[in-house]
Amino acid sequence: MTRFNARVAVAGVGLRQYKRAQAPLPERGVLVRAIVDACEDAGFDPAEVDGFVAYGDDKNEPVRLMSDLGTKELCWSSQVWGGGGGGIAGAFGHAAAAISSGQASAVIVFRTLVQSNSGRLSGAVMAHHLNDHLLGAGLISPAQPCALRAQRLFEHHQVPRSVTEELVRASYYHGARNPNAVSYGKELDLDAYRTARWIAEPFRLFDCSRENDGAGALLLVSAERARDLRKKPVHLVGVAQGAGKGWGDLLENDDDYASAGFASVARRLWAQTGLTPDDIDCAQLYENFSAQGIASLIDHGFCNYENVAEFVRFENLIAPGGTLPVNTAGGNFAEGFIHGIGMAVEAVRQLRGESANPVPGARTCLLAGGPGAPTVSSAIFSNEVIN
Amino acid sequence: MSEPMLAVRHTTGADGPYWRALAAGRVELPRCAGCGRWHWPAVFRCGECGSWDQQWHAVEPEGTVFSWTRTWHAFDGSEKIGLPFVSLVVELPQCGGRRLLGLLEGEAGGLRIGAAVRARVAETEIWGERIPALRWTLSGASS
Ligand SMILES: [Zn+2]
Repeated sequence: MTRFNARVAVAGVGLRQYKRAQAPLPERGVLVRAIVDACEDAGFDPAEVDGFVAYGDDKNEPVRLMSDLGTKELCWSSQVWGGGGGGIAGAFGHAAAAISSGQASAVIVFRTLVQSNSGRLSGAVMAHHLNDHLLGAGLISPAQPCALRAQRLFEHHQVPRSVTEELVRASYYHGARNPNAVSYGKELDLDAYRTARWIAEPFRLFDCSRENDGAGALLLVSAERARDLRKKPVHLVGVAQGAGKGWGDLLENDDDYASAGFASVARRLWAQTGLTPDDIDCAQLYENFSAQGIASLIDHGFCNYENVAEFVRFENLIAPGGTLPVNTAGGNFAEGFIHGIGMAVEAVRQLRGESANPVPGARTCLLAGGPGAPTVSSAIFSNEVIN
Repeated sequence: MSEPMLAVRHTTGADGPYWRALAAGRVELPRCAGCGRWHWPAVFRCGECGSWDQQWHAVEPEGTVFSWTRTWHAFDGSEKIGLPFVSLVVELPQCGGRRLLGLLEGEAGGLRIGAAVRARVAETEIWGERIPALRWTLSGASS
């Protein structure tokens, strides 16, 4: 297995988040704001951005951003396949490929979601994957296939249901302490969590992420160039995307059905970086649904079916003292959900020491993309050069 | 079968024969003539042995519950199903463990992973469109 050899870093981040249907501008306007924010964060001229990468069927074709940004030349535009958030980390792999191969020099990774323009995210995600086989079984929303897998995780693999509560609590704990989070100042009411209405068993309301409007953008340049910019560089030290044999868009015929689909991706990520789960100081763990966040932790090797309840404990998952603080801005559940892009922004802020819930001395952060998607991806960031 | 002929909807995959059979009230699944593997989802070419010869066989729609979810939220488009409803993933041992989907009808008291189920062909209405689909019943339950 080849070590990851691109030398790229995140130099700037921008995040504009609004309540659903309350964005002040149409979708492209919000996206341009976020991109300019990311460039200003880095002290970088937006006109010099020459590459763009998105994921999850973003509707904003980069060539249409050129007039607003003053783009001098568009050298790279691409998107990771897949309708869900599975491609989020893989988008950084595209950016790294573009920069390290010389095809572009300054690449924005972005995701935008303004409901009046792109509709409900859940509907769009499912439309990408829907077919008559699923519809005929009443499976019309991403919550349901994820619920089927969660049921198998609990009933067949006997993962205790209580672990989802620990994870949701950790996200809300961080969100309650993040002034930019939708749940700022609001702790999770455990009784409300346990008695909330059913969505699709075994998921109740607070097991499901809820959408926001907004856009997020991250500026990547070569590690060398990043050193001369305003903020401390956050290096991409490894990234993997894809699916192993027996996983994919398979009409619920996936081999490791209750997993989140990361087995092959995680194996490559660890091999690429020479790191192990023990080397990860914090994680931004995409949780579309609570059980899929748990499955993602298992897939990445932080725990297994037998010891999951020992590892996934609230105290273990929170900053500053937990073994693996997760979703330190509140995650999709409690910070807000713009198809996960906020988690990538938080990975960078955490490693710069800018997080609302700092993890003292954090050197590495895992970004685990949308779990359970046919194509998934994960990345590791660091404030040091590791490889 | 007392079911009327059902409309065959468009398919973009290799599963046309599945829908044609279902419209006629039968369940058919494909098996590779080269290596004997059951493939589901359907394939044009067997990625294991390279054969392009995929033969469709009538199968008894019987199996065991692989997983299930009971939907309580009124997701857009599903209004005609009626809440709550149970969706099943069913494993068919007679087809190499391939899994089919469908709604559960009748008694749900014995619903658990591993429970034996049997299906009939029916229709599910989504967004005003009638889709041929399987309706599973728990063995021993009355529908
Ligand atoms: Zn074959």
